[in-house]
Amino acid sequence: MLNIARGIGAAVIVAMTVVPAFAQEKTVGYITKSATNAGWIMINQGAADAAKSEGVKLIEVGPTFAGDLTKQLEIFENLVGQHVDAIGIAPVDSSGIAPAVKDATSAGIPIVAIDTAVNGADVTSFVATDNVAVAKVQGAIAATLVSDGAAIIYVTGDKAQSTGQDRYNGFMSAFKAARPKSEILEVPTVWDSNQAQEGVEAIINQRKDIKMIVSAWDGGTMAAKSALQNLGYKAGEVKLVGFDGAADAVAAMDQGWVQANTAQMLYQMGYQGIKAAAAAARGQQVEKRIDTGFFLITPSTVDTYKAMIDIK
Amino acid sequence: MASNLGASAHGSSSRSLQDATVRLLAKFFKADWSGALLAILIISVAVELTTSGMSVFEPSNVMTILNNSAAIGVIAGGMTLVILTAGIDLSVGSVVGLCGALTGYLVSFWGFSPVEAILAGLGIGGVIGLIHGILIARFGMPAFIVTLAGLSIWRGAAHLSTGAKATPQLPEAFNWFGRLNPLEALRAAYQSGKLPAWLNGVSAFLDTNWVGYFRTFQMSMVIFIVFFVILSVIVSNTIYGRYVFAIGSSEAGARQAGINTVRYKLLTYVFCSLSAALGALLILGRAPYAKSDYGQGWELDAIAAVVIGGTSLFGGRGTIWGTFLGVILLKLINNGLTLAQLNTFWQMIVTGMIILIAVGLDLVRQSRSPESVRRFLAAVGAAMAFFTLLTPASLWLRAAVALHEHYSVTGLREGGAQLASSQSERLLSPAQLQALATQMGGSFWPTVACLLPLALSVVSIATKSRLVSFAVCAVFAVSAYAMATAGFSAAVPFLVLGAVAVAGSLLVLNAFERARKLHEIEA
Repeated sequence: MLNIARGIGAAVIVAMTVVPAFAQEKTVGYITKSATNAGWIMINQGAADAAKSEGVKLIEVGPTFAGDLTKQLEIFENLVGQHVDAIGIAPVDSSGIAPAVKDATSAGIPIVAIDTAVNGADVTSFVATDNVAVAKVQGAIAATLVSDGAAIIYVTGDKAQSTGQDRYNGFMSAFKAARPKSEILEVPTVWDSNQAQEGVEAIINQRKDIKMIVSAWDGGTMAAKSALQNLGYKAGEVKLVGFDGAADAVAAMDQGWVQANTAQMLYQMGYQGIKAAAAAARGQQVEKRIDTGFFLITPSTVDTYKAMIDIK
Repeated sequence: MASNLGASAHGSSSRSLQDATVRLLAKFFKADWSGALLAILIISVAVELTTSGMSVFEPSNVMTILNNSAAIGVIAGGMTLVILTAGIDLSVGSVVGLCGALTGYLVSFWGFSPVEAILAGLGIGGVIGLIHGILIARFGMPAFIVTLAGLSIWRGAAHLSTGAKATPQLPEAFNWFGRLNPLEALRAAYQSGKLPAWLNGVSAFLDTNWVGYFRTFQMSMVIFIVFFVILSVIVSNTIYGRYVFAIGSSEAGARQAGINTVRYKLLTYVFCSLSAALGALLILGRAPYAKSDYGQGWELDAIAAVVIGGTSLFGGRGTIWGTFLGVILLKLINNGLTLAQLNTFWQMIVTGMIILIAVGLDLVRQSRSPESVRRFLAAVGAAMAFFTLLTPASLWLRAAVALHEHYSVTGLREGGAQLASSQSERLLSPAQLQALATQMGGSFWPTVACLLPLALSVVSIATKSRLVSFAVCAVFAVSAYAMATAGFSAAVPFLVLGAVAVAGSLLVLNAFERARKLHEIEA
C-alpha cells in the first residue's frame, strides 16, 4: 500500500514538473529600437501578430528614447536573467550590442536580429530588408527625377549604425553612377527629424538651386516637407524621395509632395522576425538571412501599396 | 601737472584712443555674456571662411538660425530662472513632449478649437510646474530628484495618452507660433495692387528683396525675441527678479531677510514649465505634426545654453541675454557645420570642443588675471598650430592607415582566413597603392615642418618670455607663406588666426596695467 502510494506520489510529482515543461508556452523577448516612430509601430504590430499566430508569449520592451544603447543592454540582461526562450532585437548600435548577444548565445538563447545587423557576434538569424539593394533602387529612381548636374540634398541616418551606412552607400553608388555631375549636399542626423528639418532649412535657405531632397528614412522625408513649407515652397517645387513607406509619407505623396518612396515591408520584418525567433525557441532550423523585400511606391503604384498595408 | 598737459600734446590723442579702447574692453569683459558673444563671433567668422557660396552672415541665414533657436530658446529662458535660484529642472524636454502631443491630439481628435487646445496645453504646463514647485519648495525635496522623476513620468504620460502616434498636419492657426511670416500679408496686398499709396515704397523694397532678406522673417523669431525682452525686463526690474537672485545667492539669508522663498521658488518652477509648454507650441508651429517624442534630450541643451551664457549653476549670478547668446551659439554650431558640409563624425567632435572653448573663455574672463588671459591666447595659438599640423598630417595618416589595413588583410588572406565583405573592401589595387605612396611622400616633410610652430607655441604657453611669443608670431607668418606655396592653403587661416592670438597675448599685460591705472579694474 505504502509502495503504491509512494509510486503514485512520485508519478504525480514527475507529471507536475514534466508536463508543464512541455505544455508551457515559449516566451520570446522582443527588444525594439523605438516605440514612437511611425515605421516602428508597423514592425511592432507584425511582431505582436506573429507571436499570436505562433502561440508564444511576447515580452516587448524598448529603450525610453530611441538611440539609448545602455538601456537596450540592460533590457537584454534582464531578459536573459528571466530565461526567455529566444530574443528578437533591433539593435541601436550594431557593434555595441555584440557583447550582450555573445553572452545570451552562450546561455543557450537563440538571437534574431531585426532591421539592423549585429557586428562582431553571430546571430541565429538576421531578418531585414537588404538595405543596400533597396537604397540602390532609391538612388536609381531618384536619378530619373533630376537631370545630371542638378544639386540635391541627402538626409542621412545615423552612419554609426549598419542601417544608416547601408542606405547611404547604396544610394550614393546608384545615384552617382547615374548622375556623376550632380552635387550632393548632406544633412547628417542620428535619425532625429528635428535635426533633419533644421539642416534642410539651413541649406535650402541659401541654395536656390536644390532640385530634390532624398532621405534615408521617412522621419527625414516629413521633416524635409516641413522645412520646405516653412520657407514657403509648394508641393512638387522641390522633389522628395523617401525610404520606409510610412503612412504619413504616403499621405504626403497623395498631396504631391513626395514623388517616390522605397517602402520596406515593415510589417513583414516584425512578423518574420518573431516567427523565426519562435521557431528557434522550439529548436527548429531557421534561415540565417531572411530578406523581407521592398515595394517601390510611385504615384502610379501608391494605391496598390495602400491596399497591401491596409491604409484607407 | 601743467608740464604733463603741455608735453603730451601729440601723444595725448593716441593715448586717449588707447585708453578708450582699454575702457571699452574692460567694460565688455566684465559683462557675464561677453564670453558667449565672443565665441559666436569667432565661430561665425571661422565658418564664413571655410564655406564657399553659403554665407553665415546672410540675413536670411541669421534669421533661419533665430527661427530654429526659438523653441529651445524659450525653454532655456525658463531654465535660466530656475538655475538662478540654484535649482534645476530636468523635466523640460518631457514637458515639451507632453504639452505638444496633447495640444495636437486635442485639436486633431477631440474636436477642440486651436485656441482651446493651446490654452489647454499651456494650462497643463502650468499645472506640471505647480506640482514640481510644491514638491520642491513646499516639501523641500531636492529639485534634481523631483524633476528627474518628472522626466520619466511626463514622457510616459505623453506616450500613453496619445498612443505615441503622430497627428495629421495641424490647422493653420498653429502657424502663428512658427512659420507664419507677418510681412507676407503686406507683400500679397502689394502684389495684387490693393495697398494705399503711402505704403508702396516700403512694399516695393520688401518685394524686390523678399528672398534674400524677408522670407525668413517668421513668427518663431519674433516670439523668441519678444519673450526674452519681457523676461529680461521682469528679471532686472521687478521685485520677483531681485528675489530670484537673492534666493540663488543664499536661500537661508533670503529667508531671514523676510523673503517668502517658498512662494517665489514655486513661481519659478511654474514659469519654467510654462516656458516649456510655450516651447512645445513653437515646435508645433514649424513641425509637420504633433508627436509625443519631441524634445528628447532638450533639457541638456537648455542647461548647456544657460551655462555657456555665463549663468552659474550654483545660482545668484547670470543674465537672461547670456542665455539668449548661449542658445544662438549652440544653433550656430549646427547651422555652420551643416553649411560647411563637415563630415558627420567630425561634427560631433567639433561641437563638443566649441562648447569647451566657450566655457573656457568664460572662466578665463572671470579670473581677471592677466597671466591666465595670456596663457589662454597662447593656447589658442597652439591649437591653431595643431590644426595646421593636421592639414598635411591627416593626409599622411590616412594613407598610412589605408596601407597598413591593406597589408594586414592581405596577410590574413594569405594565412588562409575567410574574409568578410567589409574587410575585403580594404584591399587596394596597384594603382591605388601607388597613389597612396605618392600621397605619403608628398605630405611627410610638410608634416615634420609643422611640428616646429606647434612646439614653439606650446613653449610660449608655459613661459612669460616676450621673445618666445615674438618668435612664434614670426614663425607663424613664415609658415603661412610656406604652406600656401606648398599647396596646403587650407592651413593659412589657422596660421593667421594663431598669429593674431599670440600677438594679442603680447598686449595683454599692458592692457591690464592700463586698465588698472584707469580704475576700470581693482589693482
